[in-house]
Amino acid sequence: MKRLCTLLVLLLLLAGALPNLAQEMMDYPSDLTECEVDLTGETLRIFHFGDLSGPFAFITQPVVSALTDAVKYWNEHGGVCGAQLEQVYEDTGGNREAAQSAYDRFTSQFPDELDLLLLYSSDDGELLREQLAADEIVSYISAGSIESLYGEDGQTPGWLYASNPLYINQFGSFCQFVAANPETFPDPVIGFVTWPFAFGLAGLEPAARDYCSSLGVEVLAEPQVFLPTDTDILTQVQNAVDSGANIIYTNTIASGPALIAGTLVDLGMEDDIKLAGFNWVMDTSVGILGQRVLKPNGLPSTDGMFGSMPFLWWTELSNPAVQFVYQQHTINERGPAEQNIAYLLSWGAADSIIETYIRTVNRVGSLSAVTGADIRETVESMDYEVLGGLYRNLYEEGMRDGVLNRIAVLKYANADMSGFATGPDDAMFVDVDGNMAYFPIVHALTDFMPAPQLRG
Amino acid sequence: MTDFIRKNKRQLTWALYALAAIALVFIIGDQLAGKKAARIVQTLISGVLVGGVYGLVALGIVVINKASGVFNFAHGWMMVVGGMVFWSFFTVSEISLIGAGLLATATMLMMMSTVSWRDLRHPRNLKITVAGIAILTLLMTIGGAEWRWLHALAGTFAGAILTGLAVERFTIRPLIGQPLFTAVLMTLAVAEVLHGVTQIVWGTVELNLPVFVDPQTNSRFRPIRLDAFKEALDGIAIVRVELVIAFVLAIVAFIGFLLFFRYTSVGLAMRATSEDQQLAQSVGLRVRVILAITWAVAAFLASIAGVLQGGAVGLSLNISFVALRVFPAVLLGGLESISGALVGGIIIGIVEQFGTLINSSEQIGTNLAPYVVLMVVLVIRPDGLFGEKRIERI
Repeated sequence: MKRLCTLLVLLLLLAGALPNLAQEMMDYPSDLTECEVDLTGETLRIFHFGDLSGPFAFITQPVVSALTDAVKYWNEHGGVCGAQLEQVYEDTGGNREAAQSAYDRFTSQFPDELDLLLLYSSDDGELLREQLAADEIVSYISAGSIESLYGEDGQTPGWLYASNPLYINQFGSFCQFVAANPETFPDPVIGFVTWPFAFGLAGLEPAARDYCSSLGVEVLAEPQVFLPTDTDILTQVQNAVDSGANIIYTNTIASGPALIAGTLVDLGMEDDIKLAGFNWVMDTSVGILGQRVLKPNGLPSTDGMFGSMPFLWWTELSNPAVQFVYQQHTINERGPAEQNIAYLLSWGAADSIIETYIRTVNRVGSLSAVTGADIRETVESMDYEVLGGLYRNLYEEGMRDGVLNRIAVLKYANADMSGFATGPDDAMFVDVDGNMAYFPIVHALTDFMPAPQLRG
Repeated sequence: MTDFIRKNKRQLTWALYALAAIALVFIIGDQLAGKKAARIVQTLISGVLVGGVYGLVALGIVVINKASGVFNFAHGWMMVVGGMVFWSFFTVSEISLIGAGLLATATMLMMMSTVSWRDLRHPRNLKITVAGIAILTLLMTIGGAEWRWLHALAGTFAGAILTGLAVERFTIRPLIGQPLFTAVLMTLAVAEVLHGVTQIVWGTVELNLPVFVDPQTNSRFRPIRLDAFKEALDGIAIVRVELVIAFVLAIVAFIGFLLFFRYTSVGLAMRATSEDQQLAQSVGLRVRVILAITWAVAAFLASIAGVLQGGAVGLSLNISFVALRVFPAVLLGGLESISGALVGGIIIGIVEQFGTLINSSEQIGTNLAPYVVLMVVLVIRPDGLFGEKRIERI
């Protein structure tokens, strides 16, 4: 694992993007607002809780790692306006009751401090939506559901603010992409093969189907579902194909997309059926797990999978935000499995929280005077490039989710990192846990553009 | 009329069951009518192969229940621990001599002190302990990465035995004489402890366990395509090699256990213990030792299942949920039946796959069909398909 980290740093050097990265500490990439109030001697707490040991643990655990690294970085650099950072978090194991009790504990233990809460589960967002509004606590979340962000009617913005576009909007973006590329997607019919949870089925709404249909992209109404513990999903994939699907879309993570991709190869359908998904299918874990099955051309089964990428990715090294997170990941000796979306976005979340507090404290005069309503006022008035460009916070006119999205493809690097591998002969291999592994890269196919608003 | 019903109650009941079964066959037949033969054959193959793994998991639960009457809710987490230990030895190129030595020492000490810690004072036992430690450590550390299969198997064996013996010694043994339900609840606590330990030691990130890998291509074995039957089936059916391997291993484990139970003195003692612990003790059987062996065996079976499942889909904490999916198989086969575990596993595997074939969007295959089958079977045979019918005379 360490060899992979070393190699990744080496790649940066080769790319010429980061001269002397290993030796010189980079400056913090954000253009943070200047502090007008000295908070020396005070503590700014980052509150968060969520599923760290349940079904989504393997993507959420890096949240804690990233926030630990961010807290360490800031405290070593004099804190935020002099205030020391501290994270307060709890593992709720994906359990609603545990999430509720964590919320109750946080609100009773820190009644005056808890004005901003970081969440990472749509389910927790839905559970706490009304309570957050009643208690006037703002919440940042990576991608909430329609209900958590806009209420059951989809029209009532609450106190949760997501960094990514809604999954339904991401799906709409993909339909736009499919419609714009008929040579790649002739006579497109999309079938969902996904997990049976709210998370997995997000996106398969009538509004999304109608929108895609208006673009000439048919979406099958019935999803084919499987569980994360399933060892064989031949039946589900064949059901989708028999129903006419020539594109399979999935809202699964880690082994989910890899299992579908492997099944398509097993069935000899890897060229006939395209695979796509929301932003989590572009995660590093998918790129690594997809190598269990190789296509006839020798490349991993997940090669060529499409997905949303509403933020910058690890390989976009020309951006200082990515360079900085990369360096922190290396300095803190984080493994390749943590070089994923959660680690990247959690650095972004920490930066968002810090900027939000600086602006609010500047306005109200002290940290102790800050209220949730003040935080909300700040959030809704800011147009902020998180970490100097990782993604953008812009929540105007009642928006509660990210506006911009782009479509990307998962590929594997060639030996000199000048392009994509066409087979094992020209591919780059790295040592991962004693096995030679292909090196996954995410390549953006479109520019950032507004995702269609499909929440109805 | 009433008299007729009373006199022919049994026949009428069976007639009702038969009618229900015929109706079910018609409904399912109607659903399957539009499917190609290849899809039906494919579903059957998948069901049998997946069911074999279920059977192996079920076997571990049944072994404990057969010997002690305890339903082990920690079995899923024992699978996770076993799989993770295997991964640690399989993927790390240089095994720490100290780490391996400590694992071997703990395992041997637990083994040799099964009856009492005082047994370790005996010179002969001490010699066996030292020799065992040396052999296990050697097996776990000998050579380089090319010996990783040996390292992983020895490490998993030691880890599983240690886990099983520790669970029995420190959680189940102190409850001897207490109501059985207390021990069952204790297994729930053990599950949470193993959950926490797994999280602390290995984290929660999903791990790749490349055990079903073709050394030629360094990727999973290519599936066997049944091209010869393409015309007859009106399509292609495939057989996934790693599932076949898992299935074969499961069958081997079953045969091994059947032979073990039938023809070895330890197996005979386990059977006697499962019948009546007090009676077994009164005839000189060491019930404590038998129970300890049972837990060690169950932990080893759980480890094998963890490795097979982890190799097929990746190692994550989610693997523990497989044990929950296997509960219907255990009850269907009969709580105390070894062969019932295999048959129950295969039936549940087939039912799941056909449920999914008929309707995947509503999770009929995983959430409904296995439990409907279970209910029907239990109504007809309350002890499961192969469970022992117990008659208690008052």
